[in-house]
Amino acid sequence: MSLYRLDAMGVTIDGRDLVRGVSLEIAPGECVALAGASGSGKSLTSLTPFGLSAGTITGSAMLEGQELAGLDEADLRKVRRASVGFVFQQPLTALTPHRTAAQHLTESAMQAGGARPDRNTLVAMLDAVGLADPAIKLRRYPHQLSGGERQRLMIACAIAHRPKLLIADEPVSALDAHLRAEIMALLTRLRRETGMGLLLVSHDLASLEHHADRVLVMQGGQVVEAGAAQAIARAPQHAYSQALWAATPSLNAALPDDLHVPGAPLVEAQDLTVRFAGNGLFTRPVIAVDAVDLTVHQGEAVALIGGSGSGKSTIGRAIAGLGPVSAGAMLWKGAPLPARRSREQRRMIQPVFQDPVASLDPRWRVSDIIAEPLVHLRPDLTSWGRAGLVKKALQMVELDGALADRTPAGLSGGQAQRVAIARALVAEPQMLVLDEATSALDPLVAVQIVALLKRLQRDQGIAMLVITHDLALAAQFCHRAAVLEAGRIVEQGPMAQLIAEPQAAMTIKLVAAS
Amino acid sequence: MRALVLRRLLTAIPTLLLVLLASFALMRFAPGGPFDGERPLAPETRAALEAAYGLNLPMGEQFALFLQRTLTGDFGPSLVYRDFTVTQLIADSLPVSLTLGGLAILLALVLGLAAGMVAALRPGGWADETLMLVATIVTALPSFVTGPLLALIFGLWLGLLPVGGLGDGLLSAPQYWIMPVIALALPVAGAIAKLARAGLAAALAQEHIRTARARGLGTGAIIARHALRPALVPVVSYLGPAAAGLLTGAVVIETVFALPGLGRYFVQGALNRDYPLIMAVILLYAALIIAFNLIADLLYGWLDPRSRA
Amino acid sequence: MKRIALPAAIVALIALAALVLPMLLPWSHDAIDWDHVRAAPATAGHWLGTDELGRDRLARLAVATRITLAVALAAALVSMLVGIGWGMIAGWAGGRTDELMMRIVDALYALPFMFIVIVLMVVFGRSILLVFVGIGLVEWLTMARIVRGQVMTLRHRPFVLAAEASGVPVRVILARHILPNIAGVALAYLTLTLPGIIMIESFLSFLGLGVQEPLTSLGILVKEGADDMDVAPMGLLVPGGVMVTLLVCLTLVGERLRDRFA
Repeated sequence: MSLYRLDAMGVTIDGRDLVRGVSLEIAPGECVALAGASGSGKSLTSLTPFGLSAGTITGSAMLEGQELAGLDEADLRKVRRASVGFVFQQPLTALTPHRTAAQHLTESAMQAGGARPDRNTLVAMLDAVGLADPAIKLRRYPHQLSGGERQRLMIACAIAHRPKLLIADEPVSALDAHLRAEIMALLTRLRRETGMGLLLVSHDLASLEHHADRVLVMQGGQVVEAGAAQAIARAPQHAYSQALWAATPSLNAALPDDLHVPGAPLVEAQDLTVRFAGNGLFTRPVIAVDAVDLTVHQGEAVALIGGSGSGKSTIGRAIAGLGPVSAGAMLWKGAPLPARRSREQRRMIQPVFQDPVASLDPRWRVSDIIAEPLVHLRPDLTSWGRAGLVKKALQMVELDGALADRTPAGLSGGQAQRVAIARALVAEPQMLVLDEATSALDPLVAVQIVALLKRLQRDQGIAMLVITHDLALAAQFCHRAAVLEAGRIVEQGPMAQLIAEPQAAMTIKLVAAS
Repeated sequence: MRALVLRRLLTAIPTLLLVLLASFALMRFAPGGPFDGERPLAPETRAALEAAYGLNLPMGEQFALFLQRTLTGDFGPSLVYRDFTVTQLIADSLPVSLTLGGLAILLALVLGLAAGMVAALRPGGWADETLMLVATIVTALPSFVTGPLLALIFGLWLGLLPVGGLGDGLLSAPQYWIMPVIALALPVAGAIAKLARAGLAAALAQEHIRTARARGLGTGAIIARHALRPALVPVVSYLGPAAAGLLTGAVVIETVFALPGLGRYFVQGALNRDYPLIMAVILLYAALIIAFNLIADLLYGWLDPRSRA
Repeated sequence: MKRIALPAAIVALIALAALVLPMLLPWSHDAIDWDHVRAAPATAGHWLGTDELGRDRLARLAVATRITLAVALAAALVSMLVGIGWGMIAGWAGGRTDELMMRIVDALYALPFMFIVIVLMVVFGRSILLVFVGIGLVEWLTMARIVRGQVMTLRHRPFVLAAEASGVPVRVILARHILPNIAGVALAYLTLTLPGIIMIESFLSFLGLGVQEPLTSLGILVKEGADDMDVAPMGLLVPGGVMVTLLVCLTLVGERLRDRFA
């Protein structure tokens, strides 16, 4: 008998059908995954039957023979309490900040009416999810744990009352690449050991092949393809599934051989060190970047790869002249760059940031945003001349000229990021610093931005410093890569060599996870 | 935690010194002295008086002397209430002001938190709309309007409550406290209600509340264990300075209801240029404000462990 | 907009009445009508009656409201300018400059200000200018803190960094990116500052330390009314009512503006 079964299930919010006709079945110990871009309805499908997301369900949702459709909040609460566990995407915000690990675990263990667990039981619970030093971690607050530790705690809480079904909504998307595989392996081990069913929501398609039994691909609130995980991963049938899989960077793909040929050194950071002073008398300074040597040649794309807190963005800002430098030298074409750069020196290196919406002043029109650098860099231009250059920049990033009169609120994420790139290009820089420029975008949009960047690199010969956590993405258009850990470069070299023969432990983990 | 307390106390020292120096300088360099009465005093009488109170010493020495005495808790004799030392005056009047302020804070907290929680449970509902409108109105009511109004209605027209004074002892006749405490507490209660409502609504919208709901907890448990502490953060950050506001607001209330509190002595002292009394009172209030802010800081640490870092 | 329009209209109406009424009335606010001392409302052309000195209550109310509003508006504007300037510099500069500037604000916050202001009034005499100075000293602090917080978050927004990276001068960034984006919040807090200032001014006037005769303010009228309330309760109820209406409406406008922008 199936544990959980959706039959032509739909979700309605304010009279609109956001999810239609989803059917799936999960047996004990089995993992079924929902894949799709954001807005495809996969989170609604997983959470609304249990009353944890807005909307009401139509059709049927049966958990252990009990119909969930039509239950009121009090009854749904009983269902959640007794037999379902939940893991959410952001463990930092999903855990109550003022409650310790022990308090979280105790509450979870008692939710289905269990006895108050003693200390040894709590330690055993943390041990079971692979948390090191469980006795010490029990007293920690969520913010005192690392990202991976927090997600392990979250999982320990979700299974503390021995649920029959575990719902994991993007459990690894917020984690650094090298941690994702560990957490997915943990989920797989736990469901095999306990026989609970797992409904996994994920856009991390690469991992589904190994960790899910079956996959449902969703688009626009409907299932467009369903089947065995391995079959879909290897040969997706539906056009959307194919696009989705094609948009997932993988190291299995061949490295590009048509990149621009690099020239002489353009930017050299020597012994670059950045310290942040603690903001009080009693706090020690934090060393964010520790004696880093990094060179980017003319027309070369260099990837700076590291997890959160590795110092990669700090390096990028220092090189773009936007952040503090505590020690070290910076050379531009062999000549030292002063701490206070001239306008001309600034122009040469232009940044593009992660969040496309925050990158644009909400009060400005697109044409003014793109023209802003010109006002000061090219005072010789008339407003007519500026308009011409703005139009050219829009063409370069393949945007419709009609968007020039809109404000950022009227742009999609991908369009906004193209505007940000156009603003960078209009200054005619020799180098772009791309700080996670695609990671806030939907995979299908990100792949287009990557194609745009690759084309700019190849045709215009613009040098790039590509700051990212995603090795496979960087491999698509970067000559070289530097792997960063805790503010130090642990390994750097040509992309092919780094992937084929990784030396540092962090690089090996990254290659394995990609 | 210890580092925080230490840091706060260290930054409090320059503040206190500044208060002392500023008030000392203002009082000394300002025109007019305590012996400028309606009749000019004979020069020798004046000299004798100034010598007796140390007013003829160089300014630096006067300040040093003042500092030294202050540190030993001796503020010297009052210049106006000649038979009393400042310490005696404060000892007599401080309990009245603290009782008034304390009762008002208590009442404001009870009313404000209750109203804020009821409103936050159903955002946009009629209870929310009504309570928040009342809260806004009450917040905008100055105590020097509500005080006399209450006295007019309940004291003079209805004759239900005494219009002023304290009765025999501090707490011997509770009816004397009712109107002053209400007049003082109302604006604070309104502000607390609004902050508590906003804080609780914000806390309930956070993601960890969904996790708590996923565990099948009821509304009561969710608020008590997961939402209340973060919801109280804005209330606490308001209450630190507001405690000071209550004490200063009490100046008017003490005047209107003829309560023998510190605020009344202060106004009398200021009008009569009673230097020792004024400086003692200002110092006391500054110390109280610093103490309240320190308590607020400590409460933050408990409400949100992240702020302890 | 609907929820802001009503209280804003009431404030505008009161302000307009305060401005126009003294021109229409046959009495000035300090003219004494010897024949009608303590007149009841609506006698001999005194719509609200006269006070114990025979002065027309309506004329006094209009002038008092006018002065109270003028003091509040002027002090609020001054405190807004100082607060925005201070907060923008601290928030943009960051680091030690910010630390020092905000420590100063903290230290001033910790002063028992009402008392310092009272001392100021007593020592330097009671002038309307000092009322400004005293109020201005207190009220810019909150504005400075709010503006500084806003600027700090905007400072590291990508669109500001991008402007810096393309060589836009700091003053242009402040004027074209930062200021427009904090204007809404600043306006809301300016509106919320007004009732605070009215309360302080009235509080000082109530103690006899604020606005001085022959000028008058709502605080003075409330004080006079309170002293005389057992004989003539209207003397307290009318100015008290006008003041409370003003305070409530300004607070409502300010809060709703803040909710919109913040």
